[in-house]
Amino acid sequence: MTLFAVAAKDLKLHARDARYLATLVLFSAALVLILSVAFGPIFRDPAREASATVWAALFFAGILGLTRALDLEGESGGGDALRLTGSDPYALYLGKTLANFLLLAGVFVLVLPLTAIFFDVGDLRVLPALLGVAGLALIGYAAWGTLFAALARGLKARELLLSVLLFPSLVPLWIGAVKLTHALWDGGSIEPVRDWVKVMAAMDVLGLALAAWLYELLQEAGE
Amino acid sequence: MTAQLPGWWRMCAIGIWAAAGALIAWSLWSVAARAPVEAVMGPVQKIVYIHVPSAIVTLLAFGITFAAGIAYLATKQWIWDAVGAASCEIGMVFATVVMVTGPLWARSAWNTWWTWEPRLTTFFILWILYMGYHLVRASIRSTSRRTVSAIMGVVFFVNLPIVWKSVEWWRGSLHPRNVTMTGEMREILLLSMAAWLVFYVAVLERRLRLEWMREAALSEADAAASAAVPLKGVTA
Repeated sequence: MTLFAVAAKDLKLHARDARYLATLVLFSAALVLILSVAFGPIFRDPAREASATVWAALFFAGILGLTRALDLEGESGGGDALRLTGSDPYALYLGKTLANFLLLAGVFVLVLPLTAIFFDVGDLRVLPALLGVAGLALIGYAAWGTLFAALARGLKARELLLSVLLFPSLVPLWIGAVKLTHALWDGGSIEPVRDWVKVMAAMDVLGLALAAWLYELLQEAGE
Repeated sequence: MTAQLPGWWRMCAIGIWAAAGALIAWSLWSVAARAPVEAVMGPVQKIVYIHVPSAIVTLLAFGITFAAGIAYLATKQWIWDAVGAASCEIGMVFATVVMVTGPLWARSAWNTWWTWEPRLTTFFILWILYMGYHLVRASIRSTSRRTVSAIMGVVFFVNLPIVWKSVEWWRGSLHPRNVTMTGEMREILLLSMAAWLVFYVAVLERRLRLEWMREAALSEADAAASAAVPLKGVTA
């Protein structure tokens, strides 16, 4: 149960820092507001603009979350302590990924209704499908983001690695998320862009599989 | 390990550099003098003889960085780190050539310097990623540099198949799915590809020679330092 213990530990660290959580919430809301002002006030294609806004806001807020998680571990020495426990490195990775996934899911729950209100899009009937799309996107983002965060640990260029290199690495995931969200908000069905579900699932599996192989090597490199 | 390179290496290097020089001279002469002038685009079309081979060499170079990354992670031998980094550096040069010659072609063929077309966009993303590889690698001074570089080489490789297949996966691609040249044009394109591939191998050799000498100097310095420090508790 290392996985859940690590996830609970990371979430507890986040929860203790109320100022950080408030910053994350405000930052996400501000991003949605700025993008809606940039696209508006008269939207040409609200479904398209809203889907781009949700995922752009989520990406930037997610970077803030991943960076903070990295800082917390560095400040408290938690990363070194975890390695000393001798736990399975992949279980540690999955625990951190789960914590990051839940944090990102929290941001999504905030960003989604804000965007739906500002752009006047959305239909409750497509909500289950939309949550499915979000699940696929956030699993991939958390899986790759946690791997990149581990790669960036202790590096001078960690901002570069996280903010500049993570986004291009995940381009198939973002395109899929935007296209599927757009299809749901525009026509209520993902049928025309169904293949993107496979692309996103492949990115999720690839991220988790690469981490299974590389995370232990990264831990060794950090020692 | 000595700074002196093995004899077979030096002999091969001379042969590769001679072949690269001859092939490049022959291909440039062929492009300038023999290649037919295309009816619609005129002489600008000849950019294809630089653009396409550069793109092929870029993908090959980043593919070798990927393979060398796996080899380094499996064996932890410095040579694989050197091969990966060297290949990535050369790949970046060729990728930049592609990024420069592409808009020159596009202006004439599509009447715009840049368009958000699938292959252009995915290649630009690839360029950013591998530029980041060098910046991150240069910023690491610790022993983790090799492992981090190898992992980046493996992770960033995910984008190569996307660049390759982008013309099939996305609609609205202006790039052709296959290069369908015939006759003399095809011959000269294949010659240019061969020339730049051999040139890539030659530059890789030169770059690896530098790494070899650096590694030899480091191990000599380590050996001298350990010989100079007397063992604790041992008196003359």
